[in-house]
Amino acid sequence: MPDTGETTTVRWADPLEAIERCYDLGWTDGLPVAPPTQQRVAQFLACAGREASEEVGQLPERRRRVTAGKVAANAVMAGCLPEHFPVVLAAAEAMLDPVFNLVGPSSSLGGAAILVIVNGPVVQQLNINCRANLFGPGNRANATIGRAVRLILMNACAAIPGLFDRSVIGHPGKYSYCIAEAETETHWTPLHVDRGFAPGQSAVTVFAAEGPRQVRATGHPEAILYSIADVASSLGTSMSTSGSVGDSAAGLRQGQIVVTIAGNSGLWRDWSKDDVRRYLHQRIRRSVADLKTARVLPGPVAAGDNERYVSLVPQPEDILLVFAGGEEANMSSVIPSWGPKVGSTAVTKEVRLP
Amino acid sequence: MPEQPKEYVLVNPTTQAEAANFNGAPRLLTLAGARIGLIDDSKRNADVLLQEVAEVLRTRYEIGEVRWHRKPSASRPADPEAMKELSEKCDAIVVAVGD
Repeated sequence: MPDTGETTTVRWADPLEAIERCYDLGWTDGLPVAPPTQQRVAQFLACAGREASEEVGQLPERRRRVTAGKVAANAVMAGCLPEHFPVVLAAAEAMLDPVFNLVGPSSSLGGAAILVIVNGPVVQQLNINCRANLFGPGNRANATIGRAVRLILMNACAAIPGLFDRSVIGHPGKYSYCIAEAETETHWTPLHVDRGFAPGQSAVTVFAAEGPRQVRATGHPEAILYSIADVASSLGTSMSTSGSVGDSAAGLRQGQIVVTIAGNSGLWRDWSKDDVRRYLHQRIRRSVADLKTARVLPGPVAAGDNERYVSLVPQPEDILLVFAGGEEANMSSVIPSWGPKVGSTAVTKEVRLP
Repeated sequence: MPEQPKEYVLVNPTTQAEAANFNGAPRLLTLAGARIGLIDDSKRNADVLLQEVAEVLRTRYEIGEVRWHRKPSASRPADPEAMKELSEKCDAIVVAVGD
């Protein structure tokens, strides 16, 4: 047996008892897990060509060092298949990148989940769902890869509810939150290519995210985008509040945003992703009058405040646009970031196969 | 007949905090004349709280020079350069979390 890291020996007579032992050990997210047996963990490590002791990243604020063996054990527990493990590893590597600043979204009262967006050939190879029921249940790869990320957060990064995880309400994406882009069904540039990777590479993007807000609009690209911009401009998202702004000139938590657009690529034939981002960036904003009324900005509403606007997203590139969802164009989604861009920024890492 | 329990070896999925040994700075015997650093986490009112703390320390304990460092975001760790400078130029540091 190759080295798999620190082990615990337990006894059980039947599968139900095995599941209960994992509850007793405090290793679950509340749902039953697959016991991380040494054989299964070794199989995962072999599939990715990694050693158990190999460091994936660190969380210095909690004095934690996360190894490939720990990531594998959590992926096993989540119900992943060995071939899903390289995707989970890339997600773990991305969220432990200092740019992502995991300590923020994994502890904050904002209650973020880590949204995982998969791109590249691995989407089809592993049958990761990018179409109907995008955020919904029923597909093993999405369900287990997303769940593995949560188990890694809880077990290997100490983001335990009530301890370091201080979410006020959190959201259901904290159980599992993994999607892919339907990049073979659109003329749009895939997200990972926008972010500097080659189309033939597979990559995982992680994003500290609020829950998805469904946007129902149809018929014409502009009607859909106008509605998306309206939803993204609402008061009460992280982006339209002002706590923990630091030294931002805008006085708001301007942040990145994920937008998913479903349907048929044909509807968008006259639009590039850049066109969509520019259109949205100009319209994702709120009047100074509204922001003052909601006490986001200080002071009484003054003459002209109804005509003065503050942008909620810093740059058009901060709109992460993903073509995904069912074949009907009726439903898009808006996913605001957990915090200001200075607090956490999306990170993309390549899925490395041996 | 019920099955007999068997032993299984599980890989522990959890981590423990790994803190390197360190020697804490010696405790101050008096605050009189002490150089005090203040780290503002940039959350709302952290500056108000720290200004008051500095004022109390000045009037009640007659502290010396005060140095101020403001983080760009509450969520980000303090800049290591700023930490190094504070540790060299201060006798004690006060950190405030506003909100």
